[in-house]
Amino acid sequence: MLNRDRIGALLLLAFTLGYGALTFRIPLLPFQAHAAFTARTVPEALTLIGIGLCLILLIKPGRDPAESLAGYQWGRAGALCAVMLVYGLTVRPGGFLLSTGLFLIAGFLIMGERRWVLILSTAIPIVVLFWALMTQLLGVFIEPWPEFLRG
Amino acid sequence: MLDGILTGLQTAASPLNLLMVTVGCFVGTFIGMLPGLGPISAIALMIPITYGLDPASGLILMAGVYYGAIFGGSTSSILINAPGVAGTVATAFDGYPMAQKGQAGKALAIAAYSSFSGGTIAAVFLLFAAPSLARVSLAFQSTDYFALMVLGLTAVAAFAGKGNITKALLMTVFGLMLSTVGTDETQGVQRFTFGAMDLIDGISFLLLAMATFALSEALMAVLKPKSEDDRRREMEAQKDLGSMKLTAAEVRELAPVVGRSAVLGFFTGVLPGAGATIASFLAYGTEQRLAGPEKGKEFGHGSIRGLAAPETANNAACSGSFVPLLTLGIPGSGTTAIMLGALLSYGIQPGPRLFIDNPGVFWSVIVSMYIGNVILLILNLPLIPYIARILAVPQTILIPMILFFSLIGVYFVSFNTFDIQLMVIFAVGAVILRLLAFPMAPMLLGFILGGMMEENLRRALIINDDSWSFLWERPLTLSILLVAALILFVPMVMPHLRRLLGRRSETAGEGG
Repeated sequence: MLNRDRIGALLLLAFTLGYGALTFRIPLLPFQAHAAFTARTVPEALTLIGIGLCLILLIKPGRDPAESLAGYQWGRAGALCAVMLVYGLTVRPGGFLLSTGLFLIAGFLIMGERRWVLILSTAIPIVVLFWALMTQLLGVFIEPWPEFLRG
Repeated sequence: MLDGILTGLQTAASPLNLLMVTVGCFVGTFIGMLPGLGPISAIALMIPITYGLDPASGLILMAGVYYGAIFGGSTSSILINAPGVAGTVATAFDGYPMAQKGQAGKALAIAAYSSFSGGTIAAVFLLFAAPSLARVSLAFQSTDYFALMVLGLTAVAAFAGKGNITKALLMTVFGLMLSTVGTDETQGVQRFTFGAMDLIDGISFLLLAMATFALSEALMAVLKPKSEDDRRREMEAQKDLGSMKLTAAEVRELAPVVGRSAVLGFFTGVLPGAGATIASFLAYGTEQRLAGPEKGKEFGHGSIRGLAAPETANNAACSGSFVPLLTLGIPGSGTTAIMLGALLSYGIQPGPRLFIDNPGVFWSVIVSMYIGNVILLILNLPLIPYIARILAVPQTILIPMILFFSLIGVYFVSFNTFDIQLMVIFAVGAVILRLLAFPMAPMLLGFILGGMMEENLRRALIINDDSWSFLWERPLTLSILLVAALILFVPMVMPHLRRLLGRRSETAGEGG
């Protein structure tokens, strides 16, 4: 029976096998052929231990059945992840103030907030204060403006 | 030692560091109060700020955040029965029933006084235990360090609880695997980088900690939103806390409980992997047994002893967990693991030499822990009714802010947008593993110890002419490895052994 432990073990087994396969691509220097310790030693040992532990989890009698994932807000969490990825792509070309402001506003909207006064009165001061704190107080330069507005 | 304490006091009592510990306690209380966000997330969120400070101030800030987060976790346990941290789960057993009886203020006061007393007693122990252990550990060699790291990692897995040992071990191995990504330091070859420049330096521990704790905890809160009833309960809880005064009889009743729990908590905290959670449950169980049948019945229904015991023990264990970190350089818990990562990024190697090379850092951290306890008591307790209002901030606003602070915290260290993408990938992976009930702390511990473990193993092999015999020839190394094996296998074997013995006695009973 597929339970939570076994699903996790299968996922980690797939990761471990991929990791193990990549271990063979770690380059070795010619004189290291018979050395006791090389850059591959630990990854090889970890691969073996990882496979062993995954197999133990797969073989062990299962206790808790797979939990029903119904009722989870998958769409909302997925949308937040997408917004984070977009933020990562736009924070440099878009400038800190604009991209962060839009990121926060999008986040509030995705979470179901519809009170625009609250949205704007939270997002704008946070972005401006944070930028001021970093640049003016801590001396960290952060480009505030998008590329097309820079001189 | 007196010189050291004075040095520590001088450093910790400077205006900047006093400000740091105060800010740390406040911020930690705020973050720790948010259900789901524990001290690991709280410290992870503060790390980017500490990069701009000197090591002592940075560590003092983090120690303040640590204590504040534990205190904040207790507050949400008592007020809304939602422990922010595993270490305060036992606090909710009696704290929440007290709050339901209209004694929330008293429960919060007991939690604060107990935490303070536990922290104070433990800080005194720490003053003596840490330098003594540091002196002893000067005799340790690479082989012993390797064995100690094996012990630390297996202990964390062994204390993960029944049925979770294999999962915790697997997560530790997963963390160790992630630590091998990047350039191999001694041989200069790239491992698992896929030729990407962004991975040449490996994965940043801050990125991993933020992604797998702060970010994934926020995403978990999005996946499983609170019901309207819970929200209403939270709003009600922070409105009226009642009186915060304790009677003389209550103080007399609690004094021995606090003393016992502090000692128990400290020594449990020193054990690698045990930490605040086990300490709090142990203290709760011990006090319930010692209370006698009459008082014992009150446990779980609003007993003041049942609240004071875990609160004292978890705070004492927090101090105790600094002993292996400061003296051996081996973190005993997820929280101290993240502090180790921060120390390493300052270029400070914790371990026996820290006591000699950086006495200012060593002693100021110890002294600041005590100052942190004082700050929590005199500033946070009176302000709790106001701080508790954070529970009223809607999740619709709070979650995007946590995401923002997590992402920007990592981005402002590297200014590499690839880190943001990598964080999201790790956070999604962590959410999947959390849903499958795989623990995250062993993974982080494995990741942080991975590099050091490999380095010590390599050094041990060089010293021993490429021979693995050091594992059984050096008595200290062998003893530590045997302890690790015992810690790991005894909990696995014990249930089978007990079942076997039970069956035998049944057969004997039938036969007789």
